Amino acid sequence: MSMFPDTVAFTEDAIRNEMENEEQNLVKDLVAMSTRDRIRAIQDLPMSFEEKKHIRNQVMAFKSSKQSRQFTCFADCSESVSLFFRRCGYSIRSARQTLELWQVIMKEIGGKFGTSVLSYFVFLKWLLMFNIFSFLVNFGFITIPLLIYGPASPTVSFRGLEILTGAGYFTNTVMYYGGYSNETHVGLVEYNMQLAYFFTITVYMVLCGIALIFSMASSFRTNYVLASPASSGAWQLLCSWDFTVTNERAVKQRKNNLCVQLKESLSEKAQRELLTLSEKMKHFGVYLGSWLLSTGLTVGCGASIYYLCQYEQQRATDTASWSLVQEAETLLVPFVVSLMNLVVPLFYSLFYKFENYSSQRRQIYALVVRNVLLRMSILGVLCYYWMNVVAMNFSCWESMIGQALYRLVIFDFFFLMLGSFFGEFLSKVIGTTVLPRLGVPEFDIARNVLELIYAQTLAWVGIYFSPLLPAIQIVKFFILFCLKKVSLTHNCQPPRRTGRAAQMQTTFIALLFFPFFVGALSMVAYTAWSLTPSEQCGPFRGLNNTFSVVSVWIDDLEEFPGSQWVVWIYQNVIRSEVFYFLITLIILVIIYMFWQVSQGRKELIGLLRQQIVNEGKDKSFLLDKLQNLQKSQPTKTPKQKNQKKPKRRSDVQSSGGQSSSNAMFQAFLARQRLEEEEERRSDGGVPVPSDMSTSSALMQAMLARQRADDLVEDVYQMSDKPLSSSGALAQAMQARQRTEGPERDELYSTAGFSENPVNRSNAVMQARQARQRAEEDRMDDTGDPTSSVSNVMMQVMEARQRAEEEDRSHWLPAQPQNPVPPGSSALIQAMLARQQAGNGFDDGY
Amino acid sequence: MGNKQTIFTDEQLDAYQDCTFFTRKEILRLHGRYHELAPHLVPMDYTKEPDCNVPLALIVNMPELKENPFRNRIVESFSEDGMGNLSFNEFVDMFSVLSEMAPRELKAIYAFKIYDFNVDNYLCKEDLEKTLNRLTKEELTPEEVELVCEKAIEEADLDGDSKLSFADFENMISRAPDFLSTFHIRI
Repeated sequence: MSMFPDTVAFTEDAIRNEMENEEQNLVKDLVAMSTRDRIRAIQDLPMSFEEKKHIRNQVMAFKSSKQSRQFTCFADCSESVSLFFRRCGYSIRSARQTLELWQVIMKEIGGKFGTSVLSYFVFLKWLLMFNIFSFLVNFGFITIPLLIYGPASPTVSFRGLEILTGAGYFTNTVMYYGGYSNETHVGLVEYNMQLAYFFTITVYMVLCGIALIFSMASSFRTNYVLASPASSGAWQLLCSWDFTVTNERAVKQRKNNLCVQLKESLSEKAQRELLTLSEKMKHFGVYLGSWLLSTGLTVGCGASIYYLCQYEQQRATDTASWSLVQEAETLLVPFVVSLMNLVVPLFYSLFYKFENYSSQRRQIYALVVRNVLLRMSILGVLCYYWMNVVAMNFSCWESMIGQALYRLVIFDFFFLMLGSFFGEFLSKVIGTTVLPRLGVPEFDIARNVLELIYAQTLAWVGIYFSPLLPAIQIVKFFILFCLKKVSLTHNCQPPRRTGRAAQMQTTFIALLFFPFFVGALSMVAYTAWSLTPSEQCGPFRGLNNTFSVVSVWIDDLEEFPGSQWVVWIYQNVIRSEVFYFLITLIILVIIYMFWQVSQGRKELIGLLRQQIVNEGKDKSFLLDKLQNLQKSQPTKTPKQKNQKKPKRRSDVQSSGGQSSSNAMFQAFLARQRLEEEEERRSDGGVPVPSDMSTSSALMQAMLARQRADDLVEDVYQMSDKPLSSSGALAQAMQARQRTEGPERDELYSTAGFSENPVNRSNAVMQARQARQRAEEDRMDDTGDPTSSVSNVMMQVMEARQRAEEEDRSHWLPAQPQNPVPPGSSALIQAMLARQQAGNGFDDGY
Repeated sequence: MGNKQTIFTDEQLDAYQDCTFFTRKEILRLHGRYHELAPHLVPMDYTKEPDCNVPLALIVNMPELKENPFRNRIVESFSEDGMGNLSFNEFVDMFSVLSEMAPRELKAIYAFKIYDFNVDNYLCKEDLEKTLNRLTKEELTPEEVELVCEKAIEEADLDGDSKLSFADFENMISRAPDFLSTFHIRI
C-alpha cells in the first residue's frame, strides 16, 4: 500500500531531474556553439521568452565563469568587443528596416488581399531594388568617368518626341552605346573606357545570374522540397488560412470562398467518377484545339513582327538626324509589339471559359506557358532582326538597337498602364454596372508577373546597348508600383482561391531565370563575341569584336614587369581549352555526386514515412489486442472496473469456494489494475511537450506492445494451471512489478487511451447505474433457493458481463479518467486514483 | 544607437534581441503597441521589469488580430496562465513566433497549439470541427462539417489513430510551403 505514493513521488522527482538534466545538456550544447549559432539556436527554442532568457543567462554565466579562469582583462576585452559588434549588427538591421520601402503599404495590401497578391508586390519591389543596383553600377563605373572627362554634346536640338522615341537629341548622349568614347582618360589615374565598359557589363551580368540562381535555389529549397499535391482537405483546413489578412471584408470574403470551395470539393468527388470516354475525348479535343490556336497565334505574332521590322527597315535611313515623321514612324514596331503583348494574353485568358482544367494550378500553368511562348517568340524575332539586319545596315547599329529597346521599354510602360486600366478598371465598371454576373475582377497575378518579367528582360537585353536603361526601368517600376496599388485597392477583390502562392513565386523566379535571363545573356554574349562593333562610334570602335578588348589589354600588360602572372593566367587558364574541359568534368562529377546524395535522401524520406505508417499499424495492432483481451475475459472470468469496489468484494466472497477460478480471477484483477494504472498514467502524462519526436513515440509504442505481449502470456499461463489463490496473487504482483519498470518512464501511452474526457461525470453516472442494475440482478438470482451454488455463480457472471458490456459502451467513447490535468496535478490525481485501486485490492483479499 | 530611451536598459534590449526575432527598434515599437492597449496598466518604464498583464479582451482588439478567426486561441496559446492574459514578454513572444523570421519548426509548434482547442496534444475531429466553423462562418451543415473533417484526418493521419498528432501535423506543414508566409502577422 505504501509503495504507491513513494512511486509517484519518485516519478515526480525523476521527471524534475530529467528536466533539469535536459536543461543542463542544452546549456552545455549552447556554450559549445559560436556566438552567432548560439543566438540563432536560442531564438529557435520553442519556449517562452522568460525561459529563453533564463537559459541565455545560464549560458552567459557559464561562459564568464569559464573565462574568469583565463586572463580576465583579455576576456573582458573580447567580451565587450563581441558585444559591441553584436549591437552594431543589430543596429544595422534596424537601420535597414527603416530604409525598407513601402512597409506600411505592404502591410495594407497583405491585410486586404492576402499573401498571394502580396507576392506580386514583393516581386516588383525586388525588381526595383535590382534595377537600382544595376543603375548604380553602370552609372558609377561607366557614365561618371565619361561625364568627368568630357561627354559628347548632342548635335540635334530637343524636339519633345525624343521622350517617346529615344532618338534624335539622345542619339549621341551617354544614354546609348554610341555616346561612349574609346579613349583612355588620364587624370588622377588612368581610366580605360573600353575596359571599364566591358568589365562593368560582364560583372553586372554575372552578378545578376548569381543573384537569380541564389534566390531561385533558396526558393526551391523552402518551397519544393517536400511539396506534394496531395492532402488538399487537411491543407485547406489547417494551412490555408492567411494570418496576414486583417481587413474585415476580406476576412468575410475568405470565409465565404472557403465555404464554397469545401462544398465544391465535396461534390467534386461524385462528379469525377461520372466522366465517360466521350467526355474525356471532348476535353482532349478542346485542349488540343486551344493549344493549336495559341501556338498559331504565337507564330503569327512572331511572323508579323518580322515583316513589320523589314518594312520599317526599308523606310529607315542611316542618318543621324531624322525628320519628325521618320522619327514617329519608328514608333510603329514598339506599338504593335506592346499591343500584341496586351491583347493576346487577354485572348488567352478567354480560353479558360472553354477548357475545363481539373485543377486551378494546371490552368494557371497552361496560361503561363502560352504567355511565355508568345513573349519569347516576339523577343526572339526582334533579336534575330537586330543581330542580322540592323547590325549590317547601320553605321552605329548598337545605338540603333539601344533606341529600339528604349522605345519598347517606354511603350511597354504605357501599355502596362493601359492594361491596368482596361484589365482592372473597365472590367470593374462592367462588372458592377453592366453585367453584374461577371462581378468585380480579381487581380491576375500570373499575367501581371509575366509583364514584369518581360519588362525586366528588355532591360537586360538593353544593358549592353543602352547602359542607362535601368534608370528608365527604376522610374517605370516605381510608378507601376503606385499605380498597381491604387488600381488594386479600388478595382479588385481578394482572390477567390487561395492558390499555392509560394510555389507560384518559385515558378516565376525560375521563369525569370531560365528563358528570359538566359536568353538575354546569350544575346549579349553573342553580340560581344561574334559581331563586329560599329566603326564610327562607341567604346569598341576599330576592334574585331568586343571580347578582343581583353587580349589588347593583356598585350599592353606584357610590357609591365609586375603583371606577368596576369598574362600567364590569361594565356594558360582563360584561353586554354584544357582548363575548361577539366572544370566541366569536375562540375559534372560534383553534380553527379549531389544527385546521388539527393536520391539517397529521397529514399530515406520514403523509408521514414513508411516507418511512421508502420508505427501507426503497431499502435492499432496493440489497441486491437487489448480490446480483444478485454472482450474475451468476461467469458472466462469476471473483470472489474475500480468503480465497482463493493461489488468486487462480494464477488470474491461468493466465489471463494473455487480455488482455481478464484486464482484466475485474482490474476485478472491484478492485471486489470495494471491496465487501469497504465491508462491513468497515460492520462496523467498527457501534457507532454507537443514537440515530441516521432522516434520517442516509436520507442514507446514498442514498449507498450512488449508489455501487452507479456501480459497476454501471463494470462494464458494462469488460465492453464490451476493455481492457488496466493500463488496467483504473487504472480500477479510480479507481473505488475515487471510492468511497472517501463511504466515509470512512460510519459504517455501510444494507444488511444487519452480519449476526450467529455461528459465524464455523465459516463460515470451511467456506469454506476449499470452496476446497480447488475447488482439487483445478482440479488434476485442469489435469492432463488432452488439453484445450486455454481448456478448462482453462472448467473452472477452473466449479470456482471451484461453490466460490464454496458459499462464499456459508456466507457469507451468517454473515459471517466482525469480530464487532462496539467503537469504535477496530473501526477497527484494519478496517485490518488492508484491509491484507491490499491485500497480496493487490499480490501478484496 | 544615439537615441536615448528610458524604457529598457541596453542589457534588456540585448536579451530581447538575442531571444526573439526582433530588432531593438521593433521591440520599442512593440512596447509602444503594448502600452497603447492599456495605458493605465502598462508603465512606460520597463527597466525594473514590472509585473503586469494585459487581459485577452484588450489584446484581441488589436487591428492585427481583430479579424482573425483564431484570435482567442492565438493569445491563449502564448499566455502562461492559459486564460489569455499576456505579460509584455509573452506579447513579444507571440509576435516573434508570428514574424517573418521565425523558422518553420517553431511556427509549426505554435500553430499546432493554436489549433488544439481542447489542449490534449492531438488534433482530433472535435478540434477540426471547431477550426472549420471558425473558418467558414458556420454555414456548412453538420454533415458537411463532419465529412470535411473526416476527409482531412484521413488524408493527414499517417499512423492511423484517426486524430492528428504533432508528427502528422508537421508532416503536413512540410508539404505546404505557403504556411511560412501565411502564418505571419505583420506588426
